[in-house]
Amino acid sequence: MTLLELEDVTAFYESVQVLDGVSLSVPDQGAVGILGANGAGKTTTLRAISGTVRTGGRIVFDGKDIRGMRPDQVAALGIAHVPEGRGTLGDLTVRDNLRVGAYLRKDRKAVDTDIEYCLDLFPNLQDRITSNASALSGGEQQMLAVARGIMSKPRLLLLDEASLGLAPSTARNVYDAIHRLRTESGIAMLVVEQNANLAFTLVDSATVLETGRNVLTGTSAELRGMDEIRRAYLGG
Amino acid sequence: MASSSKTSGPAASASTSSAPSSSALSFKQRPWVRWGAPLLLLVGLAVLPLVMTESTNDTLARIGVFAVAVLGLNVVMGYTGQVSLGQIFFLGLGAYVTAYGVSQEWNIVLVFALTCLIPAVAGLVVALAAARLGGLAIAMVTVALPIVGVPLAKRLSDYTGGSQGLSARFVEAPEGSGLYDDQWQLYIVLVVGGIVFLLTSLLVRGKYGRAFAIVKGNENVASSMGISPYRYKVLAFTIASLIGGVSGFLYMVVVQYTSPETMSFGHSIELLVAMVIGGAGSIVGSILGGAFYVVVPDITNAIDPSLTALLQGALLLAVLFVLPGGLVSLPRAVMRGLRRSTAGRGSAAPPTTPSPTAGSGSATENPETERQGHV
Amino acid sequence: MNRHFRSRRAVGIAAASALALTLTACGGNDAGRGGDAAEGAPSPGITDDSVTLGITTPLSGATAGPGTCTVAGIQAYFGAKNAEGGVEFGDGQTRTVEIEALDDGYDPQQAAANYDQLKNDVFAMTAGLGTPTNRAWRDAAIADEVPQVLIMTGDPLFSDTEQSPWQLGFVPIYQNEGEAFGELLAESGEEHKVAILSQNDDYGEGYVEGFKSAVEGADNIEIVEELTYEATDTSVDAQITELANSGADVFFNAMSITPLVISALQKAQQLNWLPSWFLPSNTSSPGAILQPGGAEAFPGIYSVSFAKAPQSPAFAEDEDVQAYLAALKEYGDYQDPPAFPHCQWSWMVGATLDQAFQEMTEPTRENFMEALRSIEGYQAPLMLEGTSVTTTEDNQPAVSTVNVQKYNGQGYDTVESFG
Repeated sequence: MTLLELEDVTAFYESVQVLDGVSLSVPDQGAVGILGANGAGKTTTLRAISGTVRTGGRIVFDGKDIRGMRPDQVAALGIAHVPEGRGTLGDLTVRDNLRVGAYLRKDRKAVDTDIEYCLDLFPNLQDRITSNASALSGGEQQMLAVARGIMSKPRLLLLDEASLGLAPSTARNVYDAIHRLRTESGIAMLVVEQNANLAFTLVDSATVLETGRNVLTGTSAELRGMDEIRRAYLGG
Repeated sequence: MASSSKTSGPAASASTSSAPSSSALSFKQRPWVRWGAPLLLLVGLAVLPLVMTESTNDTLARIGVFAVAVLGLNVVMGYTGQVSLGQIFFLGLGAYVTAYGVSQEWNIVLVFALTCLIPAVAGLVVALAAARLGGLAIAMVTVALPIVGVPLAKRLSDYTGGSQGLSARFVEAPEGSGLYDDQWQLYIVLVVGGIVFLLTSLLVRGKYGRAFAIVKGNENVASSMGISPYRYKVLAFTIASLIGGVSGFLYMVVVQYTSPETMSFGHSIELLVAMVIGGAGSIVGSILGGAFYVVVPDITNAIDPSLTALLQGALLLAVLFVLPGGLVSLPRAVMRGLRRSTAGRGSAAPPTTPSPTAGSGSATENPETERQGHV
Repeated sequence: MNRHFRSRRAVGIAAASALALTLTACGGNDAGRGGDAAEGAPSPGITDDSVTLGITTPLSGATAGPGTCTVAGIQAYFGAKNAEGGVEFGDGQTRTVEIEALDDGYDPQQAAANYDQLKNDVFAMTAGLGTPTNRAWRDAAIADEVPQVLIMTGDPLFSDTEQSPWQLGFVPIYQNEGEAFGELLAESGEEHKVAILSQNDDYGEGYVEGFKSAVEGADNIEIVEELTYEATDTSVDAQITELANSGADVFFNAMSITPLVISALQKAQQLNWLPSWFLPSNTSSPGAILQPGGAEAFPGIYSVSFAKAPQSPAFAEDEDVQAYLAALKEYGDYQDPPAFPHCQWSWMVGATLDQAFQEMTEPTRENFMEALRSIEGYQAPLMLEGTSVTTTEDNQPAVSTVNVQKYNGQGYDTVESFG
């Protein structure tokens, strides 16, 4: 069953068109990647879904057209956006950041359990639990951003460049943890990633964007086998 | 404020669920301190007006007035991060509503209700327009408030008394109470101000306060967490305006006179300064800010009345250099100094085993905790 | 002489309030709430050899210039008197006069706080500048029976004996100024058509009210057009154009905004409307307004005054002026030539208080008010010929007579008749 469906989505910054008809679908509990060069519209696609950019076309989540909704309304439906650049709240402690993620939840007991789960998922955070987020390393901040996204108990996680600026081993750690999360929780994911190798460890299928539209869509296995993908995104 | 019941939830459940070992209890958490300290404070405040001189009571009452005004400013600026330069307008509006109501001999309870309601509605209307603009627009709009307010107050002389202002001596100690007027006025300030402070501290420590902090920290994050920055900015501004109106009521209790000068733009800047000096995003800092606002002109007057502006500026800079976090950070700064000087000895380390209530348990250790509430 | 500022006690108060929560042991007594003193017993602030006066006035902020003058003048006056040994009071004692001045920054709240600090230490409050800053503690002064006298505000409330028993304004109220010009015009016997433009608040209304009361019943005066503007307006060109079409030959212009007056003068010239022009005393400065406005083009610019202008060549040799300027430097801590008339007014306040002190037979505030309210036709130093201090008239400030003056291209000359 399809959880998220984008149909011919367009998007604008001021009057500049950034998306020119993007279509994709994320199955329930599935994980889909978005690949592409800088400026292809990957991040904008996520922002179109979370409602932070003006859009056209159709965006349906769980049978409901969410295009044009405010970001907080979208979030309330169960879509968590972990933005590029992380956006952790530097003035708050790690624990408080995690609680922020659970802002809309009423089940306090379960929130505490989920915090423990996050700390288990990202043991580095366990050690920094009372530190202010601004004191964390880049990798830790990325983990915190992902963990905070999980805390809202989303049905769909929008993950933007989770490896950006991280050392390769750290990036791998982050993706390993996300992979474990996916297996254990069944949260559906839409993953934007420059590093296609990393992306393919997580996603079942992916779509490739160029200048704001899809040029290729396939399963991970299919795409991995294609020469142009190999050349463009897999380093040979 | 609907949040109060919700807020008591996490604190109460936290303290019972976290099976505390006695060694982990900080001084602040011991039962006799937790109950005794507020009780002692309450008794102290109740006795205070009786034992102080008239002049001290007057000063304390004025501190109360401006502490409330600074508290309102803190809600929108300190806690929610929206620059407001118009807080004095709401104080002035509240003062005018009070003065007018009293002059019409309305019931004082009605007058007080209107003093809350009218500034709140005015604040709501302004915020609905300004918060949508985002960024610095809200600051610009708030700048306009006192600038428009002063000529408006002069113009609407049928209600405001024009540039000659309105007097209202309506708080005299009740017959038979045996109290002097200054004592009675201070009691009113303590009770009304105390309630405002209590409700506000519950608000900023609760769910709404958390939302304010998130909006302040990062609006995009707030949105992605399902928190509408717009809605919470409007809410914060409205509450700040309401509290400003209450401070205007107290202003009339204490000063008993209002005029267009009451809301002149300069005072808005002074309130802002008082908030920063006291400690932005802090309840205690609001009181210290109110004290700064009131006491500093008296002190500089005592030193040399012809140099008050200069001395106030120098004092402001001195405080900001020594205590960038405001006066509220003084104890921490002192503690840090002490700790440094006794370094090497096993000092009181922060609890190493994080409990689910670490957010509140480490309140004394974490400089940011009071600001953000138990998020 | 140094300024007598209230250092020690106020520091104490500040410290006390800072430490207030510690419940220090100053309690129990009712200090500062002294009940009614026995009949004839000395009031606070006065002893056998000194009397202390309090002032709250703006010494910082936008009105600091005139505010500083309100302190400097009286300080200079009594500084010189004290140097001679003091003032001889009517009860036979010779007392020095000390001034305690506090800055209120034109903030009513601070003014009220200053009053609270001063009221138990000073014999009387005086000389402070500002309507809201004086109104803020007027009720309290009445309740406490503390004199609030010879203050610098044109607000008639302070000269209303019934409503303000412990108050007396010093400077002419707005009505006085408008009235003086109206009388001059009515007495001219010539036919005049008058156009009026006034600020839409109590300031403008006061002037117009005074003017109208003076020309009421004068057949030779016809008000042909009357307009207002808002204090927030940035231009009065439209009003000037409309008034120019009225054919008026006299323009009664009650405006308090300097740039608007200048642009009004220029606009009228553009329209070739050249009436005789009346301006209030606070917007008639030759250097700041008339010269930039090209006022020579008009047949006459009229304003009012009651004080000698110390810079005017006409008074360079005047004894009053010389004594005043010397004392201002020596005792008033005011080194520059006085930039605001408030310095002169404050000096006159000193002289007027001196008169009242000489009539006091008991060292009480009640007796002082009686003495103060019995001065008639006293020509204080620096007052222009024809003006005087009279405190016996109900609903009038201490100085209610002003001379109408006409601009001579550089300064003003007193005129006896219009034209």
